Amino acid sequence: MVQSCFAMEIRVLAKHSLGNTNGPEEVGEKGQVLTSHDTSSLVIDNLYSRARGRNTTIACFYFDFAAQSEQSAASMLGSLLQQLVFGLEDIPEEILEAYEDRKHAMGGQGLQFSDILNMLQITSARKRSFICIDALDECAAEHRVKVLDSLGQLLQQSPGTRIFVTGRPHILPEIRTRLAGRAESISISPKREDIVTYLRSRLAADTAPDAMDSTLEGDILKKIPTDISELYVEATAFQKLP
Amino acid sequence: MVLKRFTPKKTPLFFSPPPQEVLWSTGSIIDPWDILSGKEQKMSQLFSNNYGSNNNYGSFNTTYVNYLVADDRSNILAWLSPLDPRSRHQGIRDRRIESVGEWVLQTREFRSWYAGSEDGESDGAVLFCYGNPGVGKTFVR
Repeated sequence: MVQSCFAMEIRVLAKHSLGNTNGPEEVGEKGQVLTSHDTSSLVIDNLYSRARGRNTTIACFYFDFAAQSEQSAASMLGSLLQQLVFGLEDIPEEILEAYEDRKHAMGGQGLQFSDILNMLQITSARKRSFICIDALDECAAEHRVKVLDSLGQLLQQSPGTRIFVTGRPHILPEIRTRLAGRAESISISPKREDIVTYLRSRLAADTAPDAMDSTLEGDILKKIPTDISELYVEATAFQKLP
Repeated sequence: MVLKRFTPKKTPLFFSPPPQEVLWSTGSIIDPWDILSGKEQKMSQLFSNNYGSNNNYGSFNTTYVNYLVADDRSNILAWLSPLDPRSRHQGIRDRRIESVGEWVLQTREFRSWYAGSEDGESDGAVLFCYGNPGVGKTFVR
């Protein structure tokens, strides 16, 4: 039956994780069932939909390897600050004063890192605040230390603030160390129903629908999620075959 | 202080519009510098002509004040950060398949993380979801 899948341009390559040597650059985002970015955007949307009419303010930040040079700890905290301030009806007095003092500063906003952190502490304490940080592992290591320490300080001032972070598992020890006792963690590998939903969606978008009938589709949906236990679904799975 | 009186009419679903979108949707018609430099009568007439006789000088004045306040608020937001995280969020959201991964929201960890903000407890204030970053392969269980 898996042979039949070839006819409808679906190929599932099963490899044991240890045997897999392909680099991440060989595959794109398209074939991913569930990525940590998806989880971040899902959580952010969920928080926004729940925030309506509540005393809540939300900020998010997506780290990106490709933008490391412009994503310093200061620029990241500045972006969070801006979004949290946006969620307040009144701009805190401390920020108004800082703006008046520095709006004509040469070469930028004229704020020190400590100023931004201080404003962030003040702002996040004003309302129920949520901060979402995607792909923290893609933040340069020296900035990541500053980011985590700053978040720790923010929580001291504003303990009700909730911080949602995604990233590769290798930064978990760093998070545990820097935010001692405050961090919970979840692994976000896709569940069986995620794979079924994903396959359904891809089958619905299949460009050769004639090759599919309901029996085949049923078999695929039944067989694939079961058989690929502990195996990789490659991003190439849905590329066209010659 | 006049700045503090400004309240946005509605909160957008996601993040702040960048200043250039907020500012002067009618800004080509009303320039605060004209008003400050004594051309307010002319501007008032223009406004009146465009929007009908209901707009007397007084209501124009109010409108003008609100624009100024919105302007300052936008300037402050722009001063705090030039970055726009919306576009990245939008790009990821567009390729997300509906309901995939939503179980995360139902986990004990997520629910207690979310609820904890009401208690003001900093224990469990941080929730770290680790997994595949989006380039590379998805490990399936």
